[in-house]
Amino acid sequence: MGPLIDALPFSYTVSVIALGAAVLGLTAGVLGTLAVLRQRTLVGDALAHATLPGVCVAFIATGAKDASTLLVGAGAFGLIGALLVVGLERSGRTRPDAAIGVMLSSFFALGIVLLTYIGSLNQSGQAGLESYLFGQAAGLVERDVTIMAALGLGALAVVAALFRPLKSTLFDADHAAAGGLPIRALEVVMTALLVVAIVIGVRTVGAILMVAMLVVPAAAARQLTGRLAGVLVLAGLIGATVGVTGALLSAQSGLPTGPVIVLVGFLVVLACLLLAPGRGILWRARKLARDRRRLLVEGVLIDLETALHGGPPPTQHELALASGRPRRALRRALGDLERTGALARDGERIYLSESGAASVHAVLERRDLWSAWLEHGWRLELPDAREPDPRDLRASLGDEHADRLRALAAEARA
Amino acid sequence: MSSDLIILLTAGLTATACGLLGPFLVLRRNALMSDAVAHAVLPGIVVAYLIFQTRAPLPIVAGAAVFGIICVLGIDALRGTGLVKWDAAIALVFPALFALGVIGISTYASGVHLDLDSTIYGEIAFAPFLSLDVLGAELPRTVVLGFAAVAANLAFVALLWRKLKTTSFDPQYAQAVDVSPARMSRLLLVAVAITAVISFESVGAILVVTLLIVPAAAAHLLTDRLTAMIAITVAIGWASAIGGLSFASAADASIAGMMGVVAAGCFVLALLAGPRYGLAARAIRRRRAGRRARVALGAAREAGAPS
Repeated sequence: MGPLIDALPFSYTVSVIALGAAVLGLTAGVLGTLAVLRQRTLVGDALAHATLPGVCVAFIATGAKDASTLLVGAGAFGLIGALLVVGLERSGRTRPDAAIGVMLSSFFALGIVLLTYIGSLNQSGQAGLESYLFGQAAGLVERDVTIMAALGLGALAVVAALFRPLKSTLFDADHAAAGGLPIRALEVVMTALLVVAIVIGVRTVGAILMVAMLVVPAAAARQLTGRLAGVLVLAGLIGATVGVTGALLSAQSGLPTGPVIVLVGFLVVLACLLLAPGRGILWRARKLARDRRRLLVEGVLIDLETALHGGPPPTQHELALASGRPRRALRRALGDLERTGALARDGERIYLSESGAASVHAVLERRDLWSAWLEHGWRLELPDAREPDPRDLRASLGDEHADRLRALAAEARA
Repeated sequence: MSSDLIILLTAGLTATACGLLGPFLVLRRNALMSDAVAHAVLPGIVVAYLIFQTRAPLPIVAGAAVFGIICVLGIDALRGTGLVKWDAAIALVFPALFALGVIGISTYASGVHLDLDSTIYGEIAFAPFLSLDVLGAELPRTVVLGFAAVAANLAFVALLWRKLKTTSFDPQYAQAVDVSPARMSRLLLVAVAITAVISFESVGAILVVTLLIVPAAAAHLLTDRLTAMIAITVAIGWASAIGGLSFASAADASIAGMMGVVAAGCFVLALLAGPRYGLAARAIRRRRAGRRARVALGAAREAGAPS
C-alpha cells in the first residue's frame, strides 16, 4: 500500500482514507451487483445489521480495538445471519420479508445491548465501537486498508473465476440448474461474497446504511449498460468514486461518513435514473416528445399534400379546418416545416416547395409500404423470422423484398 | 407514579401500539416497507425541530408523517419507472432519507437537544423526568404519548377492520369489491410512520422496527386467527417490555435493545415450540407420518404375502 499512498496527491491520512473508501466502494459495487440482480438486496441489509453484534462479541472476546480483529467477528456473524435468513425463509411459515425483518431487527437489538453493555464496562478504547453504527473513515490505518484490499481482491478474483456460471445463474437460475450447474452452491458463494463486501465496508459506512453502498453502484450501472460484465465493472468504478468522494467530504466536514457517502451515492443514482441514454426517465420523455413531434409534422405534411391535391393552396385557417388539428399544434408543425424549407408561401396561401414535395413522397411511400407489409407481408417468404423495424421498413427488409411487397400491393389493387 | 412504573408503562404502551399494526404488516408482506418508513421519519423529526424549535408532539408527528409518505411514494414511484426492482427501490430510498436525518442531527444537534445516541438507543431511561401539561395536570410525557398512540392505532384498526382484513388475506377479492389494497397499505404505513415517531423518544428510530415485526412474526407462527394473532402480538410486546426492563437493569445495557432481544427470544421460542407451525411440532408430525406409513406398508406386505 505504501507506494500507492505516496503516489496520491493528498496528505498521508487523507490518502489512507481515500484508498480505503475506494477499496470499499469497488468491492461493494461489484459484489452488491450480484445481490441486486437476484433481488436479494435487503438480505444484505439484514447481514449488515448482523455484523454489529459480531463486532461487539469480537471486542468482548479479545479486548482488541483494531479494525482487523473486529472484522473477523463481523464476518462470522454475517455468515450466521445469512444462514439464519435462508433457514427461516425455508422453514415454511415465515415469509421472506418477515424473515429478513426479524433477522435484521433481532441482530441489531442484540448489537445495541452488547454495545451498551460494553459501554457500561467502562473499559478504555471501547469508544470506537460506536463508529460501526454510522461509519467513520477517519480512524482507518494503513494496515486496515491493506487487509481490506486483500479481502476485496480475493473476492473479486472469485467473481472473475466463476464469471460464466454466475452469469448463467443470475440470468436464468432454472435454466442454469437444468444445465447441471450447482445453483445452491453458487448462491452460497454469492451470499458469502456479499458478507465479504459488507465486512469491508461496515467500518467506514456503518451497519445501518451499508445496504445503500451495495445497491447504489449496481442500480446506477444497470441504467448505463445491459451487459453483466459492463454492469460489474461500472458498478465497481461508480462505487469507488462515490466512496472516495463521500469519505473525503466527510473527513473534511467532520460529519459521519456513512450518511455522506449514502447521499452522494443517492445523487449519482438519481442522475443515472433521469439521464441514462436509452433508459433514463428524462431521456425517454425527450424521445417520446420528439417522436410525437415527428409524427405531427409528417401528418401536417400529408394534410397539406391532400389539400393541394384537391384544390388551390390552402391558408393556415383552411388547413386547420380541413385537418381538424388543434391550431397550436398546426402552427408548431408549420413552423418546423418552414424552417426545413419544405414550405413556400404565396401571401396567406401555403404550398409545398420542391424539397417539401420530395419529403411528402418519402413519407407516403413509407406508409404505403407499411400497409402493404401488414396486408401482404405473409406472402413474402422471408429467409428469417425477424420482426422488421416499423420506422424504416425498406432498410430492414432490403430493397428486393420491399419492391416485391410493392408489386404484391399493386397486383392486389388491380 | 414511581419511575420504574413510568418506564414500564412507556415500554408496554409502545409495544402495544406497534403490536396493533405489526400483524397486518406481516400478513401483507409489508414488513420491510415498515422498516423503511421507520427509518425515513428521522428527517421529519429534524425538520420539525428546526422549523418549530420545539419538542411538542404535534408538529413532530406531522413532520414524520410527511416524510413517511414521501418515503412510501418515493419507493412506489421508483418501482413504477421499471428501472429498478422493488427491493432495490426500498434500499435506495430509505437510506437516503435516514442519512439526511443523521446529517441534520449532526449539524444542528446542539440547537434541537437531539443527538445520534437517542436516535439509536431511545431515551426511555429518561422517561420519568419528562412531563406534559394535559389540562393543567402534569403527567409523564411518554406515557401520555404512548396512550395516545395506542388509542389512535386502536381506532385505526377498529374503523378499518374489515377493509384491512380483506386486503390482507385476499387482495384480489378486495380489489374486485373496490377496496384498494395499495391504498390500505399506504394508510397502514402512514400509521406506522406516526407510531414510529411517537415511539422514537422511547425506543429510538430503529428498534421500533423490532417491536413492529418480531412479535407479529412470532404470533404468526402460533395462530391462524387474526384477532388471536393481534392479542398474542400485544402479549409478546408486554412480555418484552417487562423482560427487557429487568434484564437491562441486570446487565446494565440499553432497555430498548434488551426489549428487542427478549422479543427475538419469544420468536425463537415460537419457531421451535409453536404448536402447529413450530419446528419441533413439524418434526414430530413428520416422524409420526413416517411411522404410520411404515406400519401401513408392513400390513400391506403381510396381506399381499402370496405374491
